[in-house]
Amino acid sequence: MRSGFSIRSKLLLVALLLLLIPWMSYIYVRDMKAFLLSGQEDALSLAARAVATVLHDRPEFFDDNTVADGTPSQENEIYAFPLPNYININGDLSDWGEQAKQATNYSPEPVDLALYPNNTISVNHVLGYRGSYIYALFEVEDDAVLFRRKGFLRVDAADHIRLTLQDPGRLETRYTLTAQKPGRMSIYLMDENWQYPITGEPNYDLAAEIDISDRGYNVELRIPRFMLSSDTRIKMVVADVDDTEVFSIQALIPTTPQNETDELSRLQVQSPEIAKILKGLDRSDTRIWVIDKDKQVRAVVGNILTEDNLEQINRPKSANKNLRYFWDYVRYYYTRTLRTIFTYIIEQPAVNFADHERSTEQRNDQIIERALLGAISSDRRPSLDNQGTILMSAHPVYLGDNIPGAVVVEQSTNQVTRRQQETLENVISVTLLVLITVATALLIFASRLTLRIRRLRNATDGAIDRDGRIVTQKLLAEASSGDEIGDLSRSVSNMLGRLSQYTSYLRGLPDTLAHEVSNPLNVVNSSLHNLQQEMPGSGESKYMQRAKNGIARIGNILRNLTEAANLEQAMQSETRETVDLVKMIESYVDGYSISNPEQAFELDIETKRLMVEIAPDYIAQALDKLVDNAIDFAALGTAITIRVKRSDKSAQIDVVNLGSRLPEGMAERIFEPLVSLGRKDAQKTRLGMGLYVVKLIASFHDGDVQAQNQIGTDGVVFSLSLPLNNPAARDD
Amino acid sequence: MARKVAIVEDDFDQRENYADALQKSGYEVATYANRTEALNGMRNDMPDLAILDIMLENEMDGGFDLCRDLRALSPTLPIIFLTARDSDIDRVSGLRLDAWDYLTKPLNMQFLSVRINSLFRIVDSLGRSAADISNSDLLVIDELEIDEHSMSIRWKGQELSLTLTEFWLIESMARHPGHVKTYENMMQITRQSYVERNTINGYIRRIRNKFKEVDSNFKNIQTVFGVGYKWNPHD
Repeated sequence: MRSGFSIRSKLLLVALLLLLIPWMSYIYVRDMKAFLLSGQEDALSLAARAVATVLHDRPEFFDDNTVADGTPSQENEIYAFPLPNYININGDLSDWGEQAKQATNYSPEPVDLALYPNNTISVNHVLGYRGSYIYALFEVEDDAVLFRRKGFLRVDAADHIRLTLQDPGRLETRYTLTAQKPGRMSIYLMDENWQYPITGEPNYDLAAEIDISDRGYNVELRIPRFMLSSDTRIKMVVADVDDTEVFSIQALIPTTPQNETDELSRLQVQSPEIAKILKGLDRSDTRIWVIDKDKQVRAVVGNILTEDNLEQINRPKSANKNLRYFWDYVRYYYTRTLRTIFTYIIEQPAVNFADHERSTEQRNDQIIERALLGAISSDRRPSLDNQGTILMSAHPVYLGDNIPGAVVVEQSTNQVTRRQQETLENVISVTLLVLITVATALLIFASRLTLRIRRLRNATDGAIDRDGRIVTQKLLAEASSGDEIGDLSRSVSNMLGRLSQYTSYLRGLPDTLAHEVSNPLNVVNSSLHNLQQEMPGSGESKYMQRAKNGIARIGNILRNLTEAANLEQAMQSETRETVDLVKMIESYVDGYSISNPEQAFELDIETKRLMVEIAPDYIAQALDKLVDNAIDFAALGTAITIRVKRSDKSAQIDVVNLGSRLPEGMAERIFEPLVSLGRKDAQKTRLGMGLYVVKLIASFHDGDVQAQNQIGTDGVVFSLSLPLNNPAARDD
Repeated sequence: MARKVAIVEDDFDQRENYADALQKSGYEVATYANRTEALNGMRNDMPDLAILDIMLENEMDGGFDLCRDLRALSPTLPIIFLTARDSDIDRVSGLRLDAWDYLTKPLNMQFLSVRINSLFRIVDSLGRSAADISNSDLLVIDELEIDEHSMSIRWKGQELSLTLTEFWLIESMARHPGHVKTYENMMQITRQSYVERNTINGYIRRIRNKFKEVDSNFKNIQTVFGVGYKWNPHD
């Protein structure tokens, strides 16, 4: 059998093509993602338009800081930014996130600095709103943090913060935020001099917390919305007191714009009406900004921070070792592996966007500008930490022909990405399952197929034996199968049948021929006999003698022709016996020398004993043929050598004669029937059946016969080898 | 009164040649060309000996069938098969039908008369009573008994069913136990025209088989490789 891929491996290789399915799915899912994203974009765009439509021609939304005719206010303005998180009033600034970094830095007035040149004080301050509260953050750098002493009635004898509120047409209300230790601050309504509280009762509507930081202290302040109507003006000042003896205020740092005429500022927050409208649009996965034409955020609702909904599969506990536990284990590792792979091939849904603290001002996005110019546009941008993609769509809000603002809708692509991953995960799982199933099925199928083909091959191999004889005409293997292999088996059977007919015809041919010839020969023979009787004296005629000679030769030819067929028949019923081949050859050569005194023989025995199981008469007959053949071709006067030796697992008899060599290609063909080398003696018939008979006898003994030219000298060696009875035993 | 020989042979030339030769030897001859003709003829006029070809016209085994029919008519009629078919199977089938001899073509006509003579001698000896058999006619070598007259051989008391040729070969070997009968010798003894070593080997093989039928341990005929065979008196 030539080496190569078996059917099984080929089919398995083909089955590997199933791996194209996940690849295809990957391509498909990628396209699907693009499609979904564009759909999402459209939806966003629609949402933006819807929100914008709601806000169309409703000047009051953009009105509270801008007069209808659009002339800017001369008043000081401060802005509270929308806060994405609820702020815990605890002095910890981490919930402000990015917003804390947007804080503006305020330094002491030059007047204060001149008085206390060594004083270190500065304030980072920012305002924000969330829900119904306004939040203020003060990050104060101070070289000496002084808390209010117990028993001190004056509240300005420590670091404190002053808050001034004024509703139009009313008096200012002053509050001081002070603390005796880090933690909740006390807030008192103050007199005009900021020295004593008007009442001893702290204000509980306001809430503030102070905490010591590395460089100074932090204060978080919460002001409820109801204290701040849309016209309320505000002022905040950080007062720094470092001196523990005099308790003089060394610096007053206002964090609201100061102008010569007015120390108070108007606080700009989004309009509650917008918030009310937008509230209906509030969705957990969408953030809607309303921006005015100064790109100030008027309102924001919603959040693009999305929970990661991917199912978390935990490593199973090793307590209960049953099938379910095993299954969980498999699932755990499977999912983990898959997800690891996914991190390399597809975009991962971000677990946590670092985007939510960003302000629109900073983004200064083109699409906002374009929207404010009247264009509808969409964009994608990476989130701040580059972990995800955020889709945004902007739509202008019209007020007549003016564009007082724009609506920006943002959404993360997380959902789509996650859906993509889930889909891929499913597809890969299903494909794996299909692959395993198909591969198993193919393996079984191929194994069966291979087995069947192998069985058929063995049957076919066995149908014809080593010498080309047909042993069985009908293959049993696969004969009743309905498929192509069955067909193959049947056609091989058919072929064998026809071949067998033909060979039996060929084999019977000499016999038939002999039979047909012997009848007319008998006529000639008996006629000659009768002629001789009828004509006395004719028997002595040389012609009569020659005629009889001729008949005798034809008779010999006939015997030769039938010999092989008869021999094959006879051998089937022959019993074998165990014989010492050496002894047998010795006596054979003795006998042959006696009956052929004119021919010299040389016996060359190379071993002591060679036990073989043979039918001695047939071996003798084969030797007869070989020796006859050798005598025919031996050069005149040369001896014929008969050599007996042991070669590996067989006994070998060589019959060697000196003389002409075998023509090229004859060594193989010479044992075929009716192949002869020509003749030396014209009177002697050479039909080429003799060596064929030798071959038959050798095959019958599971042996072999070969002819080859002698090396060195001219001559031929015929080697008859027979299997040893007990190859393991070495008798020599 | 001349003995009457029937010849059944579909080939006209051979048939007439046999007839001429046998008539010259002094036999009365009846010739038939096919099986039905022969059976009808012999039913009316039973011959003393019948020579049958096996293949008769289009009947492959016509001779065998005829032999069976003749056996039914006469169990003792000597029958010789004379045929071109030379296989062991045919020989065995022929002898199983109680044919007395099986000869293959081409046939030496002189030997045919000799055989016919021998067969008639056997017929004659069968007609005599057992008491008439003189001891001189009986050759005994160990367990082998050879009756020259009836041309029968017994091994360990059991009669062997032999053809004439086989009887002659055994007799020639047994007459000189331990001496080698060469192939050349034996070829003469068969009294057939074209005999080779293989033919002799074939005869010996069949003879051994017949001995083995009555005695599976029979080993008294020994091959002398390259020379011939001999009768071994002792195992």
